[in-house]
Amino acid sequence: MTEAISFYLIQFIILASALAVVLVPNPIYSAISLAVSMTGIAALFFSLEAYFIAGVQLVVYAGAVMVLFVMVVMLFDLKKEKRAFSRGTLSRVLKTTLSVLIFSMIAGALSMSFSELGSGDSIAKEDITRSIKELSALLYTKYVFAFEALAILLVMVIVGAIALAKAKGGTHAK
Amino acid sequence: MLSSIGEIGLNHYLILSAALFCIGMFGVLMRKNALVILMSIELMLNAVNISFVAFSRYQNNLDGFVMVFFVMAVAAAEAAVGLALAVAIFKRFREINIRFFEHLKG
Repeated sequence: MTEAISFYLIQFIILASALAVVLVPNPIYSAISLAVSMTGIAALFFSLEAYFIAGVQLVVYAGAVMVLFVMVVMLFDLKKEKRAFSRGTLSRVLKTTLSVLIFSMIAGALSMSFSELGSGDSIAKEDITRSIKELSALLYTKYVFAFEALAILLVMVIVGAIALAKAKGGTHAK
Repeated sequence: MLSSIGEIGLNHYLILSAALFCIGMFGVLMRKNALVILMSIELMLNAVNISFVAFSRYQNNLDGFVMVFFVMAVAAAEAAVGLALAVAIFKRFREINIRFFEHLKG
């Protein structure tokens, strides 16, 4: 029962702060709500007993990525960006309907498949030791090529970000 | 589906993941500020991470955890490049609303 209570509390925090990210006009408040949402997701991973991923989520998202976002928000002069929402009633209604429709489709598909297969509770949550040792063994054996590709990707991103930041207009330089 | 309120199963995590994904998609569609669009994309990627971890946990399989690492690394790379692009666009146009540079003309 405590598991259920903590799940619903974390779920409420995640969804409320995610809605705040989308609906609050000021981008700095959006960034702070996103940090709260990331922390909630880390708590969810913790409750799923994925301890290492919860830690990485906290360090990478709630730490590094959010610092990046807040830095960039502070670089910009955003005084006249209060009304940066989609304009036009038709467009707004269409976009809201589309989002709600996709959520209903996914939820309907989930509920139908779970009523076919029985409830999700019947899938036993097994107790294996989810040690970091097993995870890293898997990362360096089965997924070693993806890991190397990721290293190449990160090098490319570093070079690309520096080149973009130093660029003075590229081919259209004045 | 949600009849057993006291028991938390895989379906609860998947519904939460779907809701978070749709909130992020709503933000991408609705907002015109490039920074908030990038934040909404981060929300969508995190929703995918939740369903990866939930499936991995309930199916007793560590592959989903490794996938979450890759998603996180790619998301961090995407945020870095996206924010560098946003800074470059802001230097060029003095504007961060995507309405003003939707033609991407230099």
